Amino acid sequence: MNTQLKTWIKGWLSHLTFWRTVAITIFVLGLYATVVRFAQGLGAATNLSDEFPWGLWIGFDVLVGVGLAAGGFVLAATVHVFHLERYKPIARPTILTAFLGYMLVVVALMFDLGLPYRIWHPLVMWNPHSVMFEVAWCVMLYTAVLALEFSPLVFERFGWVKPLRIVRAVFVPLVIVGVLLSTLHQSSLGTLYVIASDKLHGLWYTPLLPVFFFISAIAGGLAMTIFESFMSRRAFGRRLETELLDGLARAAVVVLALYTLLKVEDLMGRGVLGLVFTVTPESTMFWGEMALGAILPMILFAIPQVRRNETGMFLAAVLTVVGFIVNRLNVAITGMAASSGVLYIPSWMEFTVTIAIFTAGFVLFGLAVEHLAIYPVEELPEPITTRDRTVPLYLGGTLPKGVLIPLWALFAVGALLVASSIRNADAEARIRQQSEVATAPTAQPDEAAPELKLPAPFAFAPAEESPGVVTFDHRSHVDAGAPECAACHRNLFSLLEPGKPLEGDLSYERVHEGDLCYSCHNGDEASAVDDACESCHK
Amino acid sequence: MKPAILTDVTKCVGCEACVWACKEINELPTIVPRTRLSAETWTVVEKRHGLNVRRQCMHCLEPACASVCPVGALRKTAEGPVVYDASKCIGCRYCMIGCPFKIPKYDWNTPLPTVKKCILCFEKRLAKGLQPACTAACPSGATIFGDRDALIAEARERIRAHPERYIDHVYGLEEAGGTSVLYLSSMPFAALGFNTEAQSSPYPALTWAVLSKLPNVVSVGGVLLLGFWWLTKRKEVLEKVRNGETTLEEARRENPHLFGETTLEEARRENPHLFGETK
Repeated sequence: MNTQLKTWIKGWLSHLTFWRTVAITIFVLGLYATVVRFAQGLGAATNLSDEFPWGLWIGFDVLVGVGLAAGGFVLAATVHVFHLERYKPIARPTILTAFLGYMLVVVALMFDLGLPYRIWHPLVMWNPHSVMFEVAWCVMLYTAVLALEFSPLVFERFGWVKPLRIVRAVFVPLVIVGVLLSTLHQSSLGTLYVIASDKLHGLWYTPLLPVFFFISAIAGGLAMTIFESFMSRRAFGRRLETELLDGLARAAVVVLALYTLLKVEDLMGRGVLGLVFTVTPESTMFWGEMALGAILPMILFAIPQVRRNETGMFLAAVLTVVGFIVNRLNVAITGMAASSGVLYIPSWMEFTVTIAIFTAGFVLFGLAVEHLAIYPVEELPEPITTRDRTVPLYLGGTLPKGVLIPLWALFAVGALLVASSIRNADAEARIRQQSEVATAPTAQPDEAAPELKLPAPFAFAPAEESPGVVTFDHRSHVDAGAPECAACHRNLFSLLEPGKPLEGDLSYERVHEGDLCYSCHNGDEASAVDDACESCHK
Repeated sequence: MKPAILTDVTKCVGCEACVWACKEINELPTIVPRTRLSAETWTVVEKRHGLNVRRQCMHCLEPACASVCPVGALRKTAEGPVVYDASKCIGCRYCMIGCPFKIPKYDWNTPLPTVKKCILCFEKRLAKGLQPACTAACPSGATIFGDRDALIAEARERIRAHPERYIDHVYGLEEAGGTSVLYLSSMPFAALGFNTEAQSSPYPALTWAVLSKLPNVVSVGGVLLLGFWWLTKRKEVLEKVRNGETTLEEARRENPHLFGETTLEEARRENPHLFGETK
């Protein structure tokens, strides 16, 4: 028995590669965070607050997650609507990524929604004026469309001919509906912020947010498809579809150029171009997003030598994806920071849940590739060359070091700038607050305190042995200059139903030793009740 | 009558009777700090530069929160108050993003949280013909309840009678397209922590400008996509014919939707006046 157990553990441990250990650690931490989130509420697990109600889970898991899955509708349209059939080999993995992406977005929403078990409410409780309502419907319908677009793979796997024929028959309308739904909700994620005109920083706030979200989703989706191809080669030993990636890269150039042009025009049109050239945390992040995440990859993708170069291609794709992520986080977090008045930094549990959800995506993708015909079968994996194995792509690969070193240096400088400007902004805000207090005109104290409208004096019906009638008068109990209603009205007497606690018996004990007059007139807070009868009984 | 509240900051003595009345009627926890609005404190008296500033939900005439709520949990009643139906709420917190006055607050520390804000005592008092608890409790007349138009007239009259006492602005008259809660002050509202950048038109119009275009996007986009599909599919089929992979007749039979009903020869025979004599 003991030896059996030992062999079992040994066998299990031998399967425990480095990345599996990492994944298991992430899932264990994620599980802990999940328990805290659902047992104790959002406050215990996140750094969200009344000032900052939307954080990493909305900014990254939802905005980035949905955006990077845009490759799904872009390639579905390319292959099935525009009949560019040569892109077919990469359409399936992209649609799979999109499907998994949307499923995981829904999982993330279950974490972020306060009452996740009511996620179906928008189905039956309608408010067509709400962007969120529209997003909810579109995401739900599109996830269904993606499931159907993806379903042939499952039907093929199990040899179910009839459902396969049905899905094939409606495939084109299905794709068109999917493209329309994607257009709607990709843009609507931007529209969500159109109502936050006083809150979102001028570098990102524009009535054109839906247009920018849509265009950048296409760019992000294209870049993500290129990135995934590299990842698939690494993980599954797949051949790179170099010619196809070249086509995607050229499309990305056009999309990124259009985005940049519109962005400049929009900033000029709103007269806020100056914000770009003032050094603030916002402008630093904006430059990071635009220069490194849009303009630089656009230039790289435009150069044929770079497109022919694997490292160049990979780098440009990564830059675009990172630029896209930074853009969404800028809208959701950087741009909302100043108006919120607080510095929101996600809690470790927020990070953990996000990372765990993405890890789950990787694992599910791997399982799908293993069990379903994601990649055309006739293709045999190209043997991985020694060069690929020894020189990691991200450290240089085939691109000359002369290009890479300045690039990484640029990243480092950018990171430093962001870090320092955040601290500066903090200090600035503090100074601004202090000077505001100092320079603000002080209110003129009123010549005389306003006369308070107080209830009329109330005479208690005297008990039999009472030495005289007691009359309660607010005026002798209230300091007109600094009234403290709460002293008596907090627990003792109702503010809204006068006389309520005086119902029932007004015994000697209750008045003189109990919860009425005595609760203040106890010799401590006010003169004791038994000092002088005639001061009250008159 | 459009129910409204006028709060005259210069008259407030800071007694917090409104705060306690609010807690009493809404059965809110009493042992919490009362320095700012929270899930437990729906109205608060803030100390700003020596003034007592009572804050509460502004009850916009066209509220952003009600417009952004995906399930209609927040709703502008015909009577005026912006009310909340906790049984509908999914907890997306878009109302907190949308509100230009940062009013809705959230239960961050419970597993089943809801949104919390002033509802102008809609069911508990207004429906019974009573004024809200806060204005009923105010001993100094700093915050009063009445018809919005009458209160606007009153506010203007106070400014006219005491121009030295008030700055010439009724906050809430135009902010966010008008609110049911109005303010008078002796100091600029910006110094009191009010959103002075608020636009004077209703906020829901911002997103509606986009949403109202979506039916067009869908119909035009749908037609365009179908058109592209038709054109490219036809081109693809004709390409196959040209390459000799299939015959025109076969392609025609397989894809009747891509081609017309008649052949060119037929059309020519039937409509000789539409075609020239030669080929």
